[in-house]
Amino acid sequence: MKAFGMAFRVATLILCFSAAGAQAGERITVWAMGAEGKLIRQAADLFESRNPGVRVITQSIPWTGAHEKLVTAVIGDMAPDISQMGTTWMPEFKAMGAIEPLTGLVKGSTIKPGDFFPGALESNFSGGEWYGIPWYVDTRVLFYRSDLAKKAGYDAPPEDWEGFYRFSKALLAAKESGYSLSLPTNDWQIFLMFYWQSGGELLQGGEPLTPGSFERTVAYLKRFFDEKLSPLEGGREMDLLTAFESGHFPAFISGPWMISQLETSKPGLNGRWATARLPGGERRASFMGGCNLVMFRNSGNKPLAWKFMEFLSTPEMQARWYEISGDLPANRKAWNAASLAGNKKLSPFRKELETAKAPPQIPEWESVAAAIDDAVEEALYGKTEPSAAREKLSADIAGILKKSERTQSAAFKIAVSILLCLLPVTAVFLYLRKKGGDAEKKRVQYAAFLFIMPAMAVLTVFLFIPILGSFTASMTNWNMYGINDFGKVAFIGLENYSALFSDRIFLAGLRNTLVFAFIGVPLGIFVSLSLAIALNAQILRFKAFFRVSYFIPVITTMVAVAIIWRWLYNPEFGIFNMLLSSLGLPAQNWLSNKWLALPSLIVMAVWKGFGYNTMIFLAALQSIPESLYESIDIDGASWSQKFWYITLPMLRNTFFFITVTTTIGYLQFFAEPYIMTGGGPMNATMSVVLHMYRHGFKFYNLGYASAMAYALFAVVFVFTFLQFRVQKRKEEAA
Amino acid sequence: MKKQLSKTAFYAFMLISVAITLFPFIWMISTSFKPPDEIFTKHPSLFPSRFTLDGYRQLFAAVSMWTHLFNSVIYAVFVTILSVLFNSMAAYAFAKLRFPGREKLFALLLVTMMVPGQVTMLPVFLILKSMGLLNTYAGLIIPGSAAVFAIFMIRQFMAEIPEEILEAARIDGLSEFSIFWRIILPLCRPIIATLAVFSFIGAWNDFLWPLIIMLREDKYTLPVALASANGQYNTDWAFLMAGAVVVVIPAVLIFLLAQKHYIKGIAAGAVKG
Repeated sequence: MKAFGMAFRVATLILCFSAAGAQAGERITVWAMGAEGKLIRQAADLFESRNPGVRVITQSIPWTGAHEKLVTAVIGDMAPDISQMGTTWMPEFKAMGAIEPLTGLVKGSTIKPGDFFPGALESNFSGGEWYGIPWYVDTRVLFYRSDLAKKAGYDAPPEDWEGFYRFSKALLAAKESGYSLSLPTNDWQIFLMFYWQSGGELLQGGEPLTPGSFERTVAYLKRFFDEKLSPLEGGREMDLLTAFESGHFPAFISGPWMISQLETSKPGLNGRWATARLPGGERRASFMGGCNLVMFRNSGNKPLAWKFMEFLSTPEMQARWYEISGDLPANRKAWNAASLAGNKKLSPFRKELETAKAPPQIPEWESVAAAIDDAVEEALYGKTEPSAAREKLSADIAGILKKSERTQSAAFKIAVSILLCLLPVTAVFLYLRKKGGDAEKKRVQYAAFLFIMPAMAVLTVFLFIPILGSFTASMTNWNMYGINDFGKVAFIGLENYSALFSDRIFLAGLRNTLVFAFIGVPLGIFVSLSLAIALNAQILRFKAFFRVSYFIPVITTMVAVAIIWRWLYNPEFGIFNMLLSSLGLPAQNWLSNKWLALPSLIVMAVWKGFGYNTMIFLAALQSIPESLYESIDIDGASWSQKFWYITLPMLRNTFFFITVTTTIGYLQFFAEPYIMTGGGPMNATMSVVLHMYRHGFKFYNLGYASAMAYALFAVVFVFTFLQFRVQKRKEEAA
Repeated sequence: MKKQLSKTAFYAFMLISVAITLFPFIWMISTSFKPPDEIFTKHPSLFPSRFTLDGYRQLFAAVSMWTHLFNSVIYAVFVTILSVLFNSMAAYAFAKLRFPGREKLFALLLVTMMVPGQVTMLPVFLILKSMGLLNTYAGLIIPGSAAVFAIFMIRQFMAEIPEEILEAARIDGLSEFSIFWRIILPLCRPIIATLAVFSFIGAWNDFLWPLIIMLREDKYTLPVALASANGQYNTDWAFLMAGAVVVVIPAVLIFLLAQKHYIKGIAAGAVKG
């Protein structure tokens, strides 16, 4: 394998050198995300045809995992020449030192920065340097049902705050049920647009937030929830397109992609909906989204890479890209093209783009955004007063941005690392040290050594050492600044651990995780064992069919599982609420009610995972000798006697294994809240591992995330230890 | 009569439970054949009223299926083979071979299982980088070839095998390796089959690890390739579900193949003999 890899590398090197020598055959690699990664091929083909001898290698990166992929590519020295990059990711990659500054190139170029929308430039320009150029933009507008608006007496939504509020009231009055507007409570983008409109600013003039504007925005939005114009609960599991069609939500705020989604999946609605600008408060402001193009520092052909970037941002190519992909051009001149200028649904977007704003350019933005979500949700639920929420949020943001400029010498850091690694290693050594007096046979010992060798070698390199490494990291301030430069990492002792005690979200996560395990583990084991016994029953025919059926939830991809469960839990037309209404009970918001959300996820997790344990139980049941049952049959034993006196004792080892691994698994609860609720509402489904994952892979607070992992480890350890004690006592009793 | 009744009740219970587990799966298959306007409606039908292959047609046009299928098969098959071999060997030593510190070492392994896997991912990545194994099949496969969970599972099963069988074999002069290979493994067929299925499906459905380890698009595994054809906001559900169906078929086949090894009474027969 390795020899093959070597040969391959040598071959590529030879290819590169010979290409460079021949002047022709220059090449660059370009990464783009998802569908754009496939479509950019068309732009690359055009570029290649205009520049003979040049090759552009395009590659598609999945959106899910794109952030992780880009970060690891930088760390692993595998980054491409050019990549598409989300506007909010720019500062992080700048902080990592991964992006090539483009100031010199922009100055001598035909590209005029003034041609682009001002909001789109913000994320590319910082500290007097250019780090990227805008590729495409998106912004948010109002989508509304024009037929229902007409019924309510409006030809178009008013363009001021007060008028928009009255419009929403009229819209609700004009129909029988539902709401007037879908307005997520935990979406910082939605909040920021209204906050900007009311004159608010983020991190300007030394203030994290503008006093007054924050309170006004919360008060304005809260009216929509208090007066049932928009649901406080139940927005999340709703399928927006269907709710728009039924009139449950006759209006919502979203981006340009919704145009084609509505046109293709709800053709029956055509002509009955329109787009409009968001209302203006003290000023106009929408959210500036979209993507930039950046060049990585290690690019081997910077002139060619720049040429391709320039090519993609010419007005001609920008308009062409809209035709290829449907992405809105960042270059204003491209909007003169007939396909864009003549589209009535796009004109509100064109207007909003002039005044749309981007969030501040700081590497810690993801953490700040999560803090905004949290504070705004609490204020909208009425748990905190708006002014108290602002003060708390300001303090949180200041805390996130506070940088500990600690410099430690490399020698000191190496010494501490070695000491920290030696700590567990010594403990293990002391624990394992041989007590004399072995009377074992040498031959068996030697064989045992050979038998455990392969597994132990793999585990040592890929499990034990990484564990030591992450344990050491839990005592450091390792974050995005140090991810690619260990010189910026410093030891901070137990600070991460002590910070956990005052981390509200961590404590909520710990509580939820324990509840999840206490209910989920017994329930899951009960279901698995019952079904395994049923599968093992002699009278059952078509065994293979039933076995496969029970294992299907395990192998069905989480994406499909998530969609169907969201639909089952849908408050408007889901099966659970249909059952409730047939019993004469009120409908429930399964995933967005803070009492029901966690139980709903437990049910789903048990459904998804029971197949694993069923198979293990079944394998164990198969090996119980039939003769044991036959002997007790003669005595005329009942079914339950057989279960208690033969099946259960014979399953002892398996039962123990399943209890331990299932407990560990449930205490590491992650996938369900990650996909279904994102930890909401109000952190009611936040789990320790989800919180850890967000800190580790979204905020890149790797030191803090590691500390969280070892705090959880301590909890799991206590539980497992107790289970072992019980097992031991049982064995002694037996 | 009573027996007949309880049999009917039993089958009714089995069919209801199967309906609950199969429902999303059937929905996934049916969605993959639906036109876009039929997918999200207030009262979705289980079967498409207008049957279309567009989802599959787009899928095969957007993704070079055979390349990625090949990568996925390589990854899953090698992980499965190595995992079955390494883990069952270690499990045998922990269950049946006496060596000093055995119980303690085993307890230590269990302790490592309690560290959430997410924190070791980046360190493992850095180790592979220092070994020059990034972007290679070896780097993709080897870290997954031994797992504490698997050793624990098989060890618990092997511990149930009566000591007399081994004693008899040792008296017959069999080496430890032949005892493992010719006596223990056949006795453990159901649990080995279970482990093989778990390993295969774990690798087959794996997403983040193959994504960050493999650099070039032509080295992507099937789930990574399918995910990379999706838009950020625009989701083409028929396309997505067609991909899910294509991924799930081999997993179901592997399971069907493996479950044949759940044969009643292998161990029982051996004990008697």
